[in-house]
Amino acid sequence: MKKKLLASLLVVAMTASMFAGCSSENKKEVTEEATEDVATEEVVAEEAATEEGVSTEPVTLKVFSNLPDRKNGQGLVEQLIIDEYMAENQNVTIEVEALDEEAYKTKFKAYAMDGMPDVVSIWGQPSFLNEVLDAGILTQLNEEDYADYGFIPGSLDGFKKDGKLYGLPRNTDVMAFFYNEKLFKDNGWELPKTYEELLALAPVITDAGFVPVAMDGGDGWPMAIYLTDLMIRINGNSKDIISNAVATGDFSDPVFTKATDLLVQTADANLFQTGYDTQDYGTAMNLFTNGQAAMFYMGAWESSMALNKDIPEEVRTNIRAFTMPALADGVGKQTDIAAWNGGGYAVSEASEVKEEAIKFLNYMYQPDKLSKYGWENGVGMSAQDQSPYMTGNETELQNVFTDIVNTATSVSGTPLNDCGLSSFKAVIESEIQSVSNGTETTEEFLSALEASCK
Amino acid sequence: MKKLYSNKLIIFSLVLPGILVFIFAILAPICLSTYYGFTDYSGMGKATFVGMENYKTLISDEGFWMSMKNSLLLAVGFIVIQHPLAIMVAAILDKLQGKAEGFFRCVYFIPNVISVAIIAYLWKFIYNPDFGLFNNFLKALGFEGKINWLGAEFAIWSVLIVLIWHGFGWGMLIYYTGIKNIDPVLYEAASIDGANASVTFFRITLPLMKPVIQVNITMAIISALKQMETVYLLTNGGPGNRTQFAANYLYQQAFKAFKYGYGNAIGVIFIIICLVVTIFLNRAFQTKEI
Amino acid sequence: MEQVGRKKKSFGKIVLFSILIIMAIVQIFPLVWLLDFSFASSNEMFTSGLLIIPEKIKWENYVKAFVDGHFLLYLKNSLLINSLAVFFVVVISIMTAFACRRMKWKLSGTVNTILLLGMMIPIHATLLPNYKIYNAIGLTDTIWALLIPYIAFSLPVGLFLMSSFMESIPIEIEEAAVIDGCGIYRIVFTMITPLLKSSIATVAIMTFLNNWNEFMMASVYLSTPKWKTLPFSVLEFTGQYSSNYAVQFAVMALTAAPAVIVYVLLNKHITKGVAMGAVKG
Repeated sequence: MKKKLLASLLVVAMTASMFAGCSSENKKEVTEEATEDVATEEVVAEEAATEEGVSTEPVTLKVFSNLPDRKNGQGLVEQLIIDEYMAENQNVTIEVEALDEEAYKTKFKAYAMDGMPDVVSIWGQPSFLNEVLDAGILTQLNEEDYADYGFIPGSLDGFKKDGKLYGLPRNTDVMAFFYNEKLFKDNGWELPKTYEELLALAPVITDAGFVPVAMDGGDGWPMAIYLTDLMIRINGNSKDIISNAVATGDFSDPVFTKATDLLVQTADANLFQTGYDTQDYGTAMNLFTNGQAAMFYMGAWESSMALNKDIPEEVRTNIRAFTMPALADGVGKQTDIAAWNGGGYAVSEASEVKEEAIKFLNYMYQPDKLSKYGWENGVGMSAQDQSPYMTGNETELQNVFTDIVNTATSVSGTPLNDCGLSSFKAVIESEIQSVSNGTETTEEFLSALEASCK
Repeated sequence: MKKLYSNKLIIFSLVLPGILVFIFAILAPICLSTYYGFTDYSGMGKATFVGMENYKTLISDEGFWMSMKNSLLLAVGFIVIQHPLAIMVAAILDKLQGKAEGFFRCVYFIPNVISVAIIAYLWKFIYNPDFGLFNNFLKALGFEGKINWLGAEFAIWSVLIVLIWHGFGWGMLIYYTGIKNIDPVLYEAASIDGANASVTFFRITLPLMKPVIQVNITMAIISALKQMETVYLLTNGGPGNRTQFAANYLYQQAFKAFKYGYGNAIGVIFIIICLVVTIFLNRAFQTKEI
Repeated sequence: MEQVGRKKKSFGKIVLFSILIIMAIVQIFPLVWLLDFSFASSNEMFTSGLLIIPEKIKWENYVKAFVDGHFLLYLKNSLLINSLAVFFVVVISIMTAFACRRMKWKLSGTVNTILLLGMMIPIHATLLPNYKIYNAIGLTDTIWALLIPYIAFSLPVGLFLMSSFMESIPIEIEEAAVIDGCGIYRIVFTMITPLLKSSIATVAIMTFLNNWNEFMMASVYLSTPKWKTLPFSVLEFTGQYSSNYAVQFAVMALTAAPAVIVYVLLNKHITKGVAMGAVKG
């Protein structure tokens, strides 16, 4: 009986590997945007217009992306660069696998066990990177190589561990209140210069039949960033306070309590839409793009709203932004912005084509690639200096954000929710919903945070 | 005949495919999963053995108990609300005959044919405080109509409504095929004896359906624990952990919180509960039979 | 008196029918809603009203869904994998049900119970371990990576349904066949199987629908588009920052269409009970 079982298992396994063999031969059909004929892989490429030491053997690079939309925004930028690279390096075939964020993170774990693609998208934040680096998944990069790449000072910090660099940042994310300028002008509302004025606007806007601020409360992270923003207004730069609190599991510093109380007060004042605590990103954003909400608290990556033809023109051409206003008696100024470098790329330690992968990585980060294309396609700001690429054709919104970044007096760094382990992230993003809508007290919220850090 | 029917070789060849698939795709991963349940594996890197640590943490984990409570509520909802309705509708459809029967049977199952994502979107829409159906209805009746259906107080009930409504099609289908299996000769005999519709239903249909009812109830409880996609899309367990269900919680812990070992421990408890419930129901249904 | 009785009866019937029709409207509503919004533009979706008349019928949504969603390739894969899964589940469950319920051997009950236990397994717990196993044998990114788990997870319910329906087949048929000198395989496949038509239809529907919309295992076990199934086209249209809901709806409608068609076709066969065919035959 046992022998028969073993024999059958062997048969299954053999059949399986036969099929596995078949499918890998067919992978050439698989590359979504491959413009090469596979035959050229065997042809020694003469016009490989790249740097020294180029291998002309056929190479396959696997890129794992978290941007499934290859026709718009950041995904388009990525794809453009990939296509260009393949055109310039005829011996290289790049296979792209793109999954949306949730599925990406799940698959990432599977790949961590075995078969990690060569170039992967990562987030330069402790909640993602800590465990990844502990497991030795990414290969170390040589920081000096990137001295001339124009990276904004401090943007590489989130991608380092013990002083060693493991990835490169792609975007500079800034959190701000997008607002509908036309709506403000038509209704005679004044742009708030202080936080108190913002709160005072809430009933005025509601009475006029609009939502003051559309908030994605269904995901916990926008509110966690809002909380971080408030902390900066109360206390000034809070980077150290946050990292200490997370490391020691001690949230007794008064700034946490004050900021949370202020958030609760804000929700009570009905600054956000009814049901904000369960409405998701898309719903909140639609309130704003439909002209039903006066403001939308979200990141600079949405500045492509100004170019999105699906949004009605009278909204689209009137979108502007301002950062969190200062508190009348607070330390932080409006120019102490909530900004960080989150998304980026890295090369896997297990990659068998590391050299080529790093070469591709560097290619992507050439100042006239990611940054330039990103800017041209309105996807927000990169982590590199983009001033050479100002075309003069920017949307108003892009100019607004450029100003915000250029005139910033300080940068928050990674927001609170991403500063700890991912278990901390899961807890704070869920608890913040309860504390903001009043089902939990501030003390309970902070103790939950403390417990998850231990 | 007995010899033919006890032929070991033939028996083996008949059950082998099923057993093979089971071992390969279910038993093996579950064994691995149980092993992980005893480690602090984060999903990447090393897995260190930590013994019963995860289970100890489970006992004081509020989210876990909440998900158990919600699953229990849902199971009760299934058994008490959904199943009686499903059986009645199945019986009525069986009686209808002709085109009407085919039509209704077809239409009633439609929500289960389309993806759960659509259902979730639709209900989120209906529950929307500003322009959702429910609040508009309330406004039409003269109320203020600003209830936050997916907010803290109502969330679990709103989710339960969706889940109970959604499962109706499956329950109805299974009961329907069960009813269809009852020999019509029995009905003829009953009507000759002068039994009317409800007597026939309670004295003939229901008792003959016992095995189907038993399994359907078992499946209802298991499915109450297994609820994942719908909850994930509707509320993802929120706000807080109010609408958390076992399978969703497992997913969250294992995949989002990088606590893979812990998530697997939840999975093991999950399986144990299902086993206990099945055995218990087996006994319960057996004693009733004479 | 009879007149009054009859009036009561028809009034009751009218009430019954109205309730059934109202239920039918509720049940078919999601499909109607899906279609309605798939022709609208994203912005119209979040205004008030449950159903809307789109300002412009946006056929482009469907074109986008078809092209950018790689509809044909994914459709072919989905159809192939799901049909194979249905075939295997039906065949294996008939074989196993027969062996466990009819054949005489000591372990029949145990094996039956163990296989039915498959119903209790939370699928997400098996995602990573299965990935590890498949990767080690080189099954990832092949058709087997999806086929095997799909079969495995639909088998318990299929087995259960087949077993219980098999119970109602009278043993006389088999006794006659044995006397005639038939072997077991012939009995199972030429005599028993035709009698199980309605349960085959039910098992086929359940297996097909269980797996048609499945995307969790598909996204973990597959990497290249070669074997990607329809749910991927939905997945590829939802990005965290993507706001074109209407096209997403078009994609979902396209994905749902084949399932609805299969269901409507198979639905007709869940009509007769097993007993009827057996006794008369």
